[in-house]
Amino acid sequence: MRKLVSFLACCVLLIGQLHAQTNRTVTGSVTDEKGAPLSGVTVNALGADRKVSATALSDASGNFSIRVTDKARSLQFAYVGLEEQTVSIAGKNSVTVKLVSTSANLSEVVVVGYGTQKKKDITGSIASVKGEALASKPVQSFEQALGGRAAGVQITIPSGVLNSPPVIRIRGTNSISLSSYPLIVIDGIPTFTGDFSSTSAAGNALASINPNDIESVDVAKDAAATAIYGSRAANGVLFITTKKGKAGRTKVSLDSWVGWSQVQRLPSLLDAFQYTDYKNEALKNAGTYSATNQFALMNGPNGNPINTRWYDYVYRNGVQHSNTVSVSGANESTSYYFSGGYTEQQGIIKRNDFKRLSLLMNIDHKAGKYVSMGGKIQYSNEKNLSAVSSGSLGDAFATAGLGRVALITAPNVSPYNNDGTYSYSGALIGVGANKLGQVGFNNPVIQLDQNRANAETDHIIGNLYLQIKPVSWLTLRSTYGLDYVLVDNDQYYSPISGEGFGSNGSVTSNFSKNKRTVFTNTIQFDKIFADKHAVSLLGGVEQQRSTGLGYGLNRITVSDPAFTNIQGGWATPNAAGLSIGENYLYSQFGRLTYTYNKKYTLNGSLRRDGASQLGVNSKYGTFWAASAAWDIAAENFWSSMKLDNVFSNFKIRASYGKVGNIGGLGNFASLSTFGSGLYGGNSTVAFGSAGNNDLTWETSKKTDIGINFGILKDRVNFELTYYNSNTDGLLLFVPQPPSAGLPSTIPKNVGTMYNRGFEFGVNATPIRGKDFTWTSAFNISYNKNMVTSLALGLDQIIASTGGLENPSITKPGYPIGMLFVTQTKGVDPATGRRIFVNGAGKDVYFQHVAPAGQFRFSYADGTVAPTVSSADAVVYRNTNPKFYGGFDNTFRYKGFELNALFTYQFGSYLYYGTNAGLRDQRFWNNSTDVLQRWQKAGDVTAIPKPIFGDNLSNGSSFPLDINVFKGDFVKLRTLTFGYNLPKSLLEKVKISNARFYVAGNNLLILTKYPGPDPEVSSNGNGSSNFGIDRNTVANQRTITVGVNVGF
Amino acid sequence: MKKNLLYIVLAALGMQFASCAKDEYLNPVPTNSISAETAFDSKDRIEGQVRAIYASIKNAGMYGGRYQIFNDIRGEEFSNDRTNVVTGFDIWNYTPSNSSTNSVLNHWSRAYYVINLANVFIDGMAAKGTNVVGATLSGNFVAEARLLRAMSYYSLLQLYARPYWDGNGAKPGVPLRLKGNTGSGDYALARATVAEVYTQILADLTFAEQNLPLTNASALLNTTRAHRNTAIALKTRVYLSMGKYAEVITEANKIVSAAPPFTATTGVNHALQADYTNIFKAPYTTTESILSMPFASNETPGTQNQLGYYYGPSAFNGGNGEYSLLSTGIVSNAGWLATDRRRSFVQAFGSKTYLTKYSVPSNFIDYAPVIRYAEVLLNLAEARVRSTSSVDAQAILLLNAVRGRSDATTVFTALNFATATALADQIMIERRIELLGEGLRGSDITRLGLPLPAKPGVSAIPNTGQQYIWPISADELLLNPLCKDN
Repeated sequence: MRKLVSFLACCVLLIGQLHAQTNRTVTGSVTDEKGAPLSGVTVNALGADRKVSATALSDASGNFSIRVTDKARSLQFAYVGLEEQTVSIAGKNSVTVKLVSTSANLSEVVVVGYGTQKKKDITGSIASVKGEALASKPVQSFEQALGGRAAGVQITIPSGVLNSPPVIRIRGTNSISLSSYPLIVIDGIPTFTGDFSSTSAAGNALASINPNDIESVDVAKDAAATAIYGSRAANGVLFITTKKGKAGRTKVSLDSWVGWSQVQRLPSLLDAFQYTDYKNEALKNAGTYSATNQFALMNGPNGNPINTRWYDYVYRNGVQHSNTVSVSGANESTSYYFSGGYTEQQGIIKRNDFKRLSLLMNIDHKAGKYVSMGGKIQYSNEKNLSAVSSGSLGDAFATAGLGRVALITAPNVSPYNNDGTYSYSGALIGVGANKLGQVGFNNPVIQLDQNRANAETDHIIGNLYLQIKPVSWLTLRSTYGLDYVLVDNDQYYSPISGEGFGSNGSVTSNFSKNKRTVFTNTIQFDKIFADKHAVSLLGGVEQQRSTGLGYGLNRITVSDPAFTNIQGGWATPNAAGLSIGENYLYSQFGRLTYTYNKKYTLNGSLRRDGASQLGVNSKYGTFWAASAAWDIAAENFWSSMKLDNVFSNFKIRASYGKVGNIGGLGNFASLSTFGSGLYGGNSTVAFGSAGNNDLTWETSKKTDIGINFGILKDRVNFELTYYNSNTDGLLLFVPQPPSAGLPSTIPKNVGTMYNRGFEFGVNATPIRGKDFTWTSAFNISYNKNMVTSLALGLDQIIASTGGLENPSITKPGYPIGMLFVTQTKGVDPATGRRIFVNGAGKDVYFQHVAPAGQFRFSYADGTVAPTVSSADAVVYRNTNPKFYGGFDNTFRYKGFELNALFTYQFGSYLYYGTNAGLRDQRFWNNSTDVLQRWQKAGDVTAIPKPIFGDNLSNGSSFPLDINVFKGDFVKLRTLTFGYNLPKSLLEKVKISNARFYVAGNNLLILTKYPGPDPEVSSNGNGSSNFGIDRNTVANQRTITVGVNVGF
Repeated sequence: MKKNLLYIVLAALGMQFASCAKDEYLNPVPTNSISAETAFDSKDRIEGQVRAIYASIKNAGMYGGRYQIFNDIRGEEFSNDRTNVVTGFDIWNYTPSNSSTNSVLNHWSRAYYVINLANVFIDGMAAKGTNVVGATLSGNFVAEARLLRAMSYYSLLQLYARPYWDGNGAKPGVPLRLKGNTGSGDYALARATVAEVYTQILADLTFAEQNLPLTNASALLNTTRAHRNTAIALKTRVYLSMGKYAEVITEANKIVSAAPPFTATTGVNHALQADYTNIFKAPYTTTESILSMPFASNETPGTQNQLGYYYGPSAFNGGNGEYSLLSTGIVSNAGWLATDRRRSFVQAFGSKTYLTKYSVPSNFIDYAPVIRYAEVLLNLAEARVRSTSSVDAQAILLLNAVRGRSDATTVFTALNFATATALADQIMIERRIELLGEGLRGSDITRLGLPLPAKPGVSAIPNTGQQYIWPISADELLLNPLCKDN
């Protein structure tokens, strides 16, 4: 191949020589942007017709020499990874060329799906975040560091449990029953997302990517930017691009950091003395205090009363470190990037650890003039470790939940008896000297010492591509990608006490395997006609198939306590974690971009998707978008009006399109199926699931209008966008009349909602001096979500938290996931009773124990009132933020740099359910604010008279308005102080760069929210039960010290 | 070269572009469930569906326990000791609401789930299944489905509709659905009259009588699967509920011999067992049990559905003692002698007495009786008395057959009964003793138009009272605009 090319080139040369009368030699040198000589650069002599008439390569010193005819007009310099450059040789015999890395211009290139586009040609709404903003942060996955970096992107890390998948919302929540999580495309391959662990340890699939390996994250938001992904585009698309080798000599870089994390803003709790007195007072108020029914202090081994701070047993200061070594480089034909990383992170909860080994290999090779190929292999092994539930991942009410146990366990008992043995009574913690049957749930120390709940993931993402460019304007590309997630779950409950007590020990091992292959073929034409008409046309076909299966074993009743694994001796085996499924997506797509005279750009995308999950009558759907951009600053009138003196650039863009969502749809959701069972010992086949042959995607019609402009010679750039996304065909599980006798609710595309809003962003370099620079980026987003209709017979959707309480409601005329609580009117100063407002709007006074002649629930006049419950709840407050964004500033002075990123959110409310537990009048320990309780007539306080056993007055039994708080906050997300060693020093030791830094994460939270952290979600990614903080472990605060060194 | 390459690539790409979506991937068939399309492909699947209808009428507290319990606790025999609406407190004190989850909502939806399973099955047999299994077997299976559909409609009428005597069935019954529903659709449907629903129940049972096998393959299957006599026995119950005594006699005579000892002479050889207590212990498959719902350790009744859990105190079988026997109920009957074998199921624990007919400890897997031969005999006896309004000699013989098996010392003669009413009353007393805790008292009260009895803390409900029957499911009222409440 290559021989042939050189042969052809020689022939051309010979022919050229035959015809040319006068030949000459042009010499020169080629360097990179830093002045280092580049060897192996292809130098082509071009004629007026731009045909190659001669070719040469630069030598080791970057020098070249080429003989050209008098027809040669210019020299073209080409090198993989560097911008091609053409230099005129008219009248010159010597040229010096500096080639600039294409990656230096990466910020000018945006990934758009099946290709890239120059930023100035973009007609859609895309936000780009550079990899370095995400690297070297004390996070497990890159998205955790994405918050505040891009307008319209809201990131919520649901809890302090390591590796919890963040809740990502691009321009609001788009779905009720399905997922509102965006599509994640890593190096062109749509990848698995979500929590793949089936134990109490979280296992975010995206944690397989070492954040240090990321070159850029591009967030596609509007239809123009996402429609090329058709049925999966409605929630936006995140394009992750991993690093590739850059031209020049081999570069070795080392990134290491070590960090220390701690829990923050924990509620202040009663100590043993306060607890004992307060609970006894509540018993007296209930009339049940007696010698055999009271709380009592107990002396510990040192002779002093036991006063346990349970936080100390559950939380810790975690130590974390991360190390990445990468080797990269490129020559004229091959670029490569190899990286290996290892991180170990201890969470703030004891025994909650994250360990990741990651390897990445990216290779691109140009085999001759027409063919290039390459690929990548990324392997990671992640150990997600924990002892038991934290109560944070959808199991808010787990009795083992460490977040909750630390709050409510009596402080006057110890985890140990005085002889040093564990204190327990059956499954529960021992009661000490207290005369009650229960003073806590599980003994957390036994659980932390004995139990385990781990998930080990092996994750492989790879792809291979072959690209052929037979002519300069035509590119054919074929890519085959795969994504395998293999998860080994291992869970053990000790028989001593706690979760394993009832079953006399329990061990579960289950394995799950998820595989995806993506085969993509594209053809692309790029041509400029008559200098003014730039046309780019893409066509493609893609097949994506995912399969998954799971199996495992649960064994209970241990033969001997020494056995703690599934292979040991156990009495009873049960099946565990059985699952099987598959889905398939077949797609055809195309995109046409036309630019006239670099001023007007039109763009159209089209995608036809067939999805296996959908009804047999509606397997295929067509999605599209049309958009346009106008670079006004390129118009003559702009300069003639002297507007160019003010605006250095000015662009208007608009788009409209239709995109879909099937995220989270069950593999067989559309099918009617029969399940199996038993009758009289024989098997049965029962109609168990009713399908819908017309089941189809949720559809969003999105409008986007934006302007971008720069002033002061692009020192300050503004972007302002309005968007409107109308979603219809929302998939709802619509109940049918029970007399129809259907076995299940039927999924139907019926609901509607919209998200509307504005985004505003500024990027500025206020100061750009020789030694001092200040760069600043600010973004703010406003979003309004509104559910406009549900279905007949489904006028509201009530969503639960932890399966036990229902604080969320979705109802037409309101934003999704409103808080749904029963209202209160404070505490009656005369009697200390809680005043509820019932569904009829009447005040109802509640006392847990009613004296003779009175009632538990009564009206102000003392007459009996109906019981107040969750049936009296009202649609109360919005959990969707109105405004959110980030403010990022970097100051550099010589080698020093200071970076501060603030993120903020305003206008949302949270249900602080934890607070209900903190004021529960059962044996539960309380927050110190109960000391403000009502004690005598005339006391004006928010805390009712404590009556032992009362779980209604403060919201434990059903959600109350008193536990709803504003979620507004400003967080100092990261503060980094770094120092770059001067070049002069580094050159002596052959180091190209070295940077030391110290950074703080979550250093500061400015909020009136009384809980530890307003930015949590008890229900994870749930769309209709967002904004709930029920026994959630708060996010950690971390200090890191790190170093980056490049060789 | 360049051109060749281009052609090769174009050809390869062209093939890929032209390649269609892989149909087997685009229309995947689940491998851990059976698709609707193939549910009638084999005899095993078809019979599996028949069993599934039985399993469904058994499960989630229908004929596997809760239906019987609801009927019993509407009577005068039991005291509610737990005040728990999950276990029927509101049924016991006649105050269920439209949205009482564990009774009004659940029984309604479960009964219609069974009805729809039967309907889907009957439709599928007509479309495909009959060709797979042949006409005879198809007739057997469809007969079973129709019998179970009839049982479901019958249970609905007993709880949600006025008794037949009120206007001769002209009052609103329940929506009558006879077509299988498999997807979304317009399901608004008004309630048929009580008479219309009874007509369908009888049509189903008559079809069952004509198409069921005379006997099944084993004693177990004779108890847990329907055969011809099952249909006839159920018809005696249905006609009795309608007050159509002549028809009760006609049906009963098909399976009750003319003279003692009374037995069924065709089909399964039903007869009273010598020892009453044998009926209620393993293997539960005597010829007296015409239809019972089977349970086993891997086929349990489920939480708070189990007969033994409701009626047995913890000291007896680890049950929850939800209901003890009221001292004013049938246990106070002086004629029910202490030596009566049936008294052995009335035991004192602490200060209370309990029904201990269902004795298996957790997970309470006693078979749940649906219909027994003793009931058929008493149905016949009662029908003879009420239809002739005389002290019927045959009725006394039938009564004595039931009494004498457990209490040989008591023998009734015509001299004991001054009037036909006195004999009828004695038969009703016998029913209360013989069938205590087997789910007949509630419908016996309502079919005779008796008031629902007063109990401690609960007033009697006259037969015209709104609380005499249950309200309609709130979900049904919300989603089926044509369905009106009681």
